[in-house]
Amino acid sequence: MSAYPSDRQRGRAPHRTLIRLLANQIELRMILLIIVVMASLSLISPYFLTVSNLFNVMDQSVVVGMVALGQTLVILIGGIDLSVGSLAGVTGIVLGLASRGHGLIAGIVACLLAGAFAGLLNGVVITYGRVAAFVVTLGMMSIGRSMAYVLSNASSITELPPAIADISSGTAAGLPVNFVCLIVFYALCWWFLTYAKGGRTLYAIGSNIEAARVAGLSITLWSVLTYVASGVMSAVAAIFLASRVLSIDPIGGAGLELDAIAAVVIGGASLFGGRGSIVGTLAGVFIMVFIRNGLNLLNVSPYWQGTAIGSIIIAAVLVERLLSRSPGQR
Amino acid sequence: MHALVGANGAGKSTLSRIISGHMQPDRGRILLEGQEIHHTGSRDAIRSGIAMVTQETSLAPDLSVLENIMLPRLGMPGALRWGRLREQVRGLLAEFGDEAGLHPDALVRDLSIGQRQLVEIAKALALDSRIIIFDEPTAPLSPHESERLFDIIRRLAQRGRGLVFVSHRLEEIFAATDRVTVLREGKVVAGSVPTATLTQGELVRLMVGRELSDIYSSAATQPMTTHRTPVLTVRHLSCPPRVRDVSFDVQEGEILGLAGLVGAGRSETLETIFGLRRAISGEIELRGKPFRPRSARDAIRAGIGLVPEDRRGQGIVPDFSVRENLLLAHLGQHAGTGLGYNERSDAVRQLLDVLELPQHRLLDANMLNFSGGMQQKIILARWLVLDPRILLLDEPTRGVDIGTRSSIYALLRRIAAQGVACVVVSSDFEEVIGLTDRIVVLSDGADVTDIPSRLVDIEKLAMFAAPRSSAERTHTVLASLVQELGGVAYWIAVEQGRVYCFDRVGDDPLVDPGFAGGSFPMIEDTAIPNALMRETDDLVSDGARRTVLTRIRGRRGHSLGQVGLTMARIPPGFDATALQRRIQAMLSVSAEAA
Repeated sequence: MSAYPSDRQRGRAPHRTLIRLLANQIELRMILLIIVVMASLSLISPYFLTVSNLFNVMDQSVVVGMVALGQTLVILIGGIDLSVGSLAGVTGIVLGLASRGHGLIAGIVACLLAGAFAGLLNGVVITYGRVAAFVVTLGMMSIGRSMAYVLSNASSITELPPAIADISSGTAAGLPVNFVCLIVFYALCWWFLTYAKGGRTLYAIGSNIEAARVAGLSITLWSVLTYVASGVMSAVAAIFLASRVLSIDPIGGAGLELDAIAAVVIGGASLFGGRGSIVGTLAGVFIMVFIRNGLNLLNVSPYWQGTAIGSIIIAAVLVERLLSRSPGQR
Repeated sequence: MHALVGANGAGKSTLSRIISGHMQPDRGRILLEGQEIHHTGSRDAIRSGIAMVTQETSLAPDLSVLENIMLPRLGMPGALRWGRLREQVRGLLAEFGDEAGLHPDALVRDLSIGQRQLVEIAKALALDSRIIIFDEPTAPLSPHESERLFDIIRRLAQRGRGLVFVSHRLEEIFAATDRVTVLREGKVVAGSVPTATLTQGELVRLMVGRELSDIYSSAATQPMTTHRTPVLTVRHLSCPPRVRDVSFDVQEGEILGLAGLVGAGRSETLETIFGLRRAISGEIELRGKPFRPRSARDAIRAGIGLVPEDRRGQGIVPDFSVRENLLLAHLGQHAGTGLGYNERSDAVRQLLDVLELPQHRLLDANMLNFSGGMQQKIILARWLVLDPRILLLDEPTRGVDIGTRSSIYALLRRIAAQGVACVVVSSDFEEVIGLTDRIVVLSDGADVTDIPSRLVDIEKLAMFAAPRSSAERTHTVLASLVQELGGVAYWIAVEQGRVYCFDRVGDDPLVDPGFAGGSFPMIEDTAIPNALMRETDDLVSDGARRTVLTRIRGRRGHSLGQVGLTMARIPPGFDATALQRRIQAMLSVSAEAA
């Protein structure tokens, strides 16, 4: 009655080990992919591998990278957060308004709290109300954008404390300081997902929530916290966005959710949850930014760039499916 | 009618799926009326007239009976003409008779399991199938429902359809089929033997390949210590809709079976104890202390483990390595922010020996690469990491091959010998009797008896487990007897000097027979030993108690026990033989109607 192949039937041909290794190691596959993308871009455009362009690329990867980090956690538990772009918009407005009256620190705190609060709302309704994440965060996406217009009276905020520019313009260890921040965030997240109980719980929830429940893991707590984290990361992204552009617009962060989801998916995560890695997401962010940058260097019309990026997303997921397909599966 | 039999995991279901096109064979041929056929999908099989009635019903619950029956038509070219389909479905349902109570427009989600089975059959008939494979159709049915199903199946056989009947219930095979093919570990060990030439014992030996007692390494060898403290006590537990009133206790080192039919509330009882469901009333006590779990974590921290019924749905985390799967419950119990995997590395190493799993497979990335039996052992071992005091196991050997089954039994015995209290839910009555020390039978969400395993056999267990809804008929007869003649009426079986009482009506202390529903005293300990000892059809006196016993039989002649009436006063003109005939008539007439 067993539908499972026995342990013995699983002998593997030796020549398939490289494919196996690539199939099993998302990180390895991603690093390989980055090298291929960088090599081909440097062949196409001599300007690509210059320091100033690379600094530019790093700078561009920060905002989407921050949002993609939160999105990775959400996708790992089998959810999705469509509200990240709008939340980056509204938390940016909160940052601008609060720092105008009470200084930059107060502005940052208010901005992070606003992100956490919106994330908490998402998480509570999804987890306790058992409403599909897609629906709840779609609603929050609309609410966030609307609040951004309401709070800002639909106009940009340009009078920001000058100190905010330091967040993006400085360097640390020879690299842009905002990029260093991104790497630190990712390193912390990697530690959390690999060595902390909470991180493994997220994987378990995404892989088999019922098994996680029976094993006594704190499913509701970690599910809610995941959405809170995603909200907070949107706020973090808003801060870095403001420090780079030095003006806050209520339309800020528009479309960010799609870039973030694309990066996570290119990074090898499964939208059904349980599978994915933070290193993969970082690689996904780089690949997206590299390709945009490359297309710009090649003077490809921005109208065509969407087609290029979209094709790459689909191709990446298709390859992922083919590699992770178990034998005998139709 | 051809029976395809074999123990759990012998490959019966897989073979049926291949024949009906749900799975592809690697090698070998299938001949239909002498022609070789190749199916690339179930649609091909349907075209060649082969249909399967599956174990877990494959109906769409939100569609009507009509739509479900006609579902395979949606996969065929051409437009649907609902008017004609409706006529056809009416005709099909009429074959089942009015008592089936099926209406074409009823939603499948509102039907009982038995009715759904009939819809499945109608679906197979609608395709004009010449060959229908029934994959353990009676597993979820009550005895009366199965009997009705058999009548329908037999009628189909008479109309010249080829029927393959997959089962491991011996009594059904002998009652209903013409020939038997026995599978063992994926191979045919006896092909197309006429059923009549086999005895039950021979068939069991063919299925199992050895004596049954070897598999269960015999509960009797274990000393039955009785005066130990209960580790877990459950009193009047209620968690609607399935669990209504369940009481039992388990002692240290004991294996307790929770037997009953599907839907009797066994799994739900375990889940309530484990904190996955909230009880609305009743008490759970752990070593005498009240215990009200609010989550699985509470139960785990109190030393309880649960091996769930649905291994894939509730057990395995497919994206985790074997090691992390082994340590999943540890993670649930662990209090720190880190993983604490290293503190458990000794325990994990020891468990690998128990599981007979080599060290290098510990990091195997995909749990689904293992056989069902090994997966189950790993999930069981997940709890052993934590040294639980109580282990709850829900159908621990479902979908597990016979070899691994006996190693799971051995493992459970070893755990119990270390003092762990085990509660095993199983639908396999043979397994419950062979594995456990004591059995609590649940029926419709309430415990009906609590009996040592050595005192019970499969048939009596089935009578205890009969759902109240189908035992209702007997109950009505008992009640009408008491109303008419007074005294106490009961439904019992007598075997080897012991009375097993399934139901009793009337509480007149003057004529108390000395047993009640769910009890099983020795004959000499009852108040009516004369009546029970004497195999006579007459009125027998035990002091002031006068008793008439009536044997009742199913329509295929198997014994369904006896109905008894004990009275203090004999009404004038009383005729024992007439009463017996009336009781027999009442029970068999209503059987016809049911």
